[in-house]
Amino acid sequence: MSIAVEIKDFSKSYKKIQAVDDISLSIQTGEIYGLIGPDGAGKSTLMQAVAGVLRFNSGQIRVFDQLIDSDKSAEKIKHSLGFMPQGLGLNLYPDLSIEENIDFFANLRGVSSETLQQRKKMLLEVSNLNKFKDRAMKNLSGGMKQKLGLVCTLIHQPRFVILDEPTTGVDPVSRRDFWEMLNQLVREENMTALISTAYMDEATRFNRLTVMHKGKVLDSGTADEIIERTPGWLIEIESKNPKELLPKILSHFPQAEEFGQMIRITGFDIAVEKAQKIIESLIDGKKDRWYFVPIGLEDVFIHRLNHVLDQPETVTQMDLNQGLTPLMSTSELSEELIKAEQLVRRFDKFTAVDKVSFNVSSGEIFGLLGANGAGKSTVIKMLTGILPPSEGSGFVAGHDMATSSMAIKESIGYMSQAFSLYLDLTVNENIDLFGRIYGLSGRRLKERSHWVLAMGHLENVQNTTVGSLPMGKRQRLALGCALVHEPRVLFLDEPTSGVDPIGRREFWQILVELAKNTGVAILVTTHYMQEAEHCHKLALMQAGKVVAYDSPKQLKRDLKERRGSVLSFKVSNPYTSLSLLQKSGYSKVALFGSRVQLFSQTVTNTRKTVSEMFVNNNIEIENIMVLEPTLEDVFVDKIESAIK
Amino acid sequence: MMNLQTVLTITKKEMLEIWRDRVYFIMAFVFPFIMILILGFGLSFDVEKMPFAVLDYDNSDQSRDYSYKFISSRYFDYKGSIDSVKKADELINTSKVRFVLVIPPEFSKNIINGYSAEVQAQIDGMFNYRASVVSGYISAINANYNSELIQQWAMKSQGMTSQAISDLISPVSLETRYLYNNELKSIWSTGTGLIVLVMLVSPAMLAALGVVREKETGSIFNIYASTASRSEFITGKLLPYIAISYINISILCLLALWVFQAPFKGDLSVLLVANFFFVASAAAIGVLISSFVKSQAAAALISMLGTMIPGIMYSGLMMPVASMSSEAVIEAHAFPAMYQLEVIWGVFLKGQGWPELWLNILILSGFLILLWLLAVLRFRKRVNG
Repeated sequence: MSIAVEIKDFSKSYKKIQAVDDISLSIQTGEIYGLIGPDGAGKSTLMQAVAGVLRFNSGQIRVFDQLIDSDKSAEKIKHSLGFMPQGLGLNLYPDLSIEENIDFFANLRGVSSETLQQRKKMLLEVSNLNKFKDRAMKNLSGGMKQKLGLVCTLIHQPRFVILDEPTTGVDPVSRRDFWEMLNQLVREENMTALISTAYMDEATRFNRLTVMHKGKVLDSGTADEIIERTPGWLIEIESKNPKELLPKILSHFPQAEEFGQMIRITGFDIAVEKAQKIIESLIDGKKDRWYFVPIGLEDVFIHRLNHVLDQPETVTQMDLNQGLTPLMSTSELSEELIKAEQLVRRFDKFTAVDKVSFNVSSGEIFGLLGANGAGKSTVIKMLTGILPPSEGSGFVAGHDMATSSMAIKESIGYMSQAFSLYLDLTVNENIDLFGRIYGLSGRRLKERSHWVLAMGHLENVQNTTVGSLPMGKRQRLALGCALVHEPRVLFLDEPTSGVDPIGRREFWQILVELAKNTGVAILVTTHYMQEAEHCHKLALMQAGKVVAYDSPKQLKRDLKERRGSVLSFKVSNPYTSLSLLQKSGYSKVALFGSRVQLFSQTVTNTRKTVSEMFVNNNIEIENIMVLEPTLEDVFVDKIESAIK
Repeated sequence: MMNLQTVLTITKKEMLEIWRDRVYFIMAFVFPFIMILILGFGLSFDVEKMPFAVLDYDNSDQSRDYSYKFISSRYFDYKGSIDSVKKADELINTSKVRFVLVIPPEFSKNIINGYSAEVQAQIDGMFNYRASVVSGYISAINANYNSELIQQWAMKSQGMTSQAISDLISPVSLETRYLYNNELKSIWSTGTGLIVLVMLVSPAMLAALGVVREKETGSIFNIYASTASRSEFITGKLLPYIAISYINISILCLLALWVFQAPFKGDLSVLLVANFFFVASAAAIGVLISSFVKSQAAAALISMLGTMIPGIMYSGLMMPVASMSSEAVIEAHAFPAMYQLEVIWGVFLKGQGWPELWLNILILSGFLILLWLLAVLRFRKRVNG
């Protein structure tokens, strides 16, 4: 295979900030190559430089043997290149229809009208957008915008496409659809693709990938290679009484995490046999159940960052328990603090929220999930008293949201995506300001300030201006400020977007402890499926409706009962395998890089028939895994049945 | 060289967006008219109907006769008589009147006895220009009254005819005739002049926003990553704003005729050609500005101030270029507004045509080429971030 893109010692800085520091990688022709890393890792910078739209400080980039070292040479590759910048649908023109958008991109590239008609027809069919081709882009759903973006990027039949976070902000189903469409087109048109993502769980979608953090390469290779290079294990314990078990586990495995009724332990430095023995001695064989789970890239990433980069302070579960004091006695713990009853909100003819009901008790973490535009924010706005509902009722901390929105505002804490901190003020000044806004003063304010500093582990930075703090610390400060007046209910609107996995993990540890120790009821929205596992209960929203409402464990169990387990084959020729399986009538077949996956109720049988079929078609099977359905599988299933 | 197909693709897309985006549409087609109506009627330089009060300590036939001269003038608006200096201060202070005429107690006695009598005019000096115009009017009325007194005295004591006396008092009589704007209506010159200002600001702002909007959303990356050349993009982006602005300036010229009742005495073809080069240059200024800024807010502010200030200060609209300081004269010549103002006033009020204005048009076209070139050179398809 020939090399399509060669990057050597690439560096780029913006004024004082070093965005990318000395990166080298090469992409082979026909590959789907991934760049994975949290916001600020330098993915966009690298991609823009490769696309020839960003100048850089040092290093070499070659695209199809063309050295990009000047504005002029960068122009030479642009005819063979498609680039989709970051931001869902932001590079499209909102007032133009789907067809007008496509025509614009084609004409800009000088595509002949004959080719245009032919390709437009084909791409609209593949993307299922044909029915909507006259609809203005601004009226499309997130998933449709994303597909239209891809269609526009591919209309001139580029040999090489660069897609910057194409799957951010869309629901799991649209994500799967998108990957399917991309896989098909890359295969049919013999393209090469460079794709970035902030979701670690998408690593398996790539042929090869580079994991980036703070402008540096952590590792490169296939997802399996990277995971194998850091040998470790992941054990999940399902417990009837996790509160009792957790302290015992923590004394042996300080890195253990609590996910609702499940405890999750990752180990890299301890031999698996030894760990297995310890765990068996700790748990109650009748009540508790443990099993191995394949370790994911995110676990490896966090481990690597902790050890390789030697991060100075990470919060462990042990520290946390000391920082927090209970807000109320345990007798109040079962009270229902948030209650939504048949909430409806209409904007003109559009129904943004349609008969949504749920309730959240004290000490409970409730996850509200869904794509951008599913109606999550509207629900939060109604519950916090900002927006009156069209129908239905809601109670927050005992107050009726229709009549006492002021009382609600006093008894809730709210933290938005933007954190709403004052960047020019120091940590202490911010806490002080928020405290005074909520009417605290004197000794009480002082006490609460100490509590916020302790909870967020911010003692060392209390006199630093917030603008110079890393995102993780800002996020903890924002959480503290939202809690400064000891609210009984906490609303968190995508609190972890833009924070790296370590920061996210620490944040969730704090949330879990908060809920447990202070009895605060937490409603949180997130895009990250792994975060959803922390919640006691979940509601998945789709087009304004709740399509699933239960605990993560129960949701997964239900799916397993209905569809069976996931069979995952690592094969030598994934594209052929995929079409073979589809032709043989298997439904729900998905392609993940070099793996094909399908659901099966009769695992042993299916395993045998599929293996035989692969062997008959000269496809080598490297390994076969049987996996538990994930939350993502649950949501894809729920949303698909909701759409039907 | 430029590919016309690519240019038109960009132009067409831009047109569709403006047409369908209500906010943008209003900004493009309504904003210039609101601006010219507000500025046109608000920015009148005529000093008329100045409110004033009289503080008459004398209260005689003579003093009443004197103040009546002011009351009957069309330049002044009599608000009543008052009885104390304190009240006078208060009225001026609260801007209820612009000046107070103070007639002292001995006024009639002094005049009858043949002494000179003093009166005082307390004028609100806040606005220099207005105060000096008011002062001029007062002096004129006062001088007129003086000559009447002399006339009366001479008629009575010398038995002269009024014509003979007037010849004696003012041997040189000044007869003024205002050329080009013979009714001295400032709305004619400001109204037409404002077309230049409005059609400098509006295309620049629209075009700057049009480019920066794409930078802000990220759709500019479509251009960066495409095969479209810099000149194709700049030209394609400029064309719709030139077209819109040309329609607008044509309507504004008609408005000047209908609403401001300005005359049109010159060559229409000169105006049509000059208008094109002028609005195109203005749009090019906007695109040039867009290469320096990243946000729409900054683009709006800078394009507005960057065109409004030179448009007002250095175009000759407020002050003739000839009476500017030498630095200001250079600035006036370095900006297209002055040349267009000469064209507009030339064809509307002075009856000029190609022989007088061909150079202006040449210079305006030069501006367009220069600004387009600068905009193309400033635009980068590979940015620094």
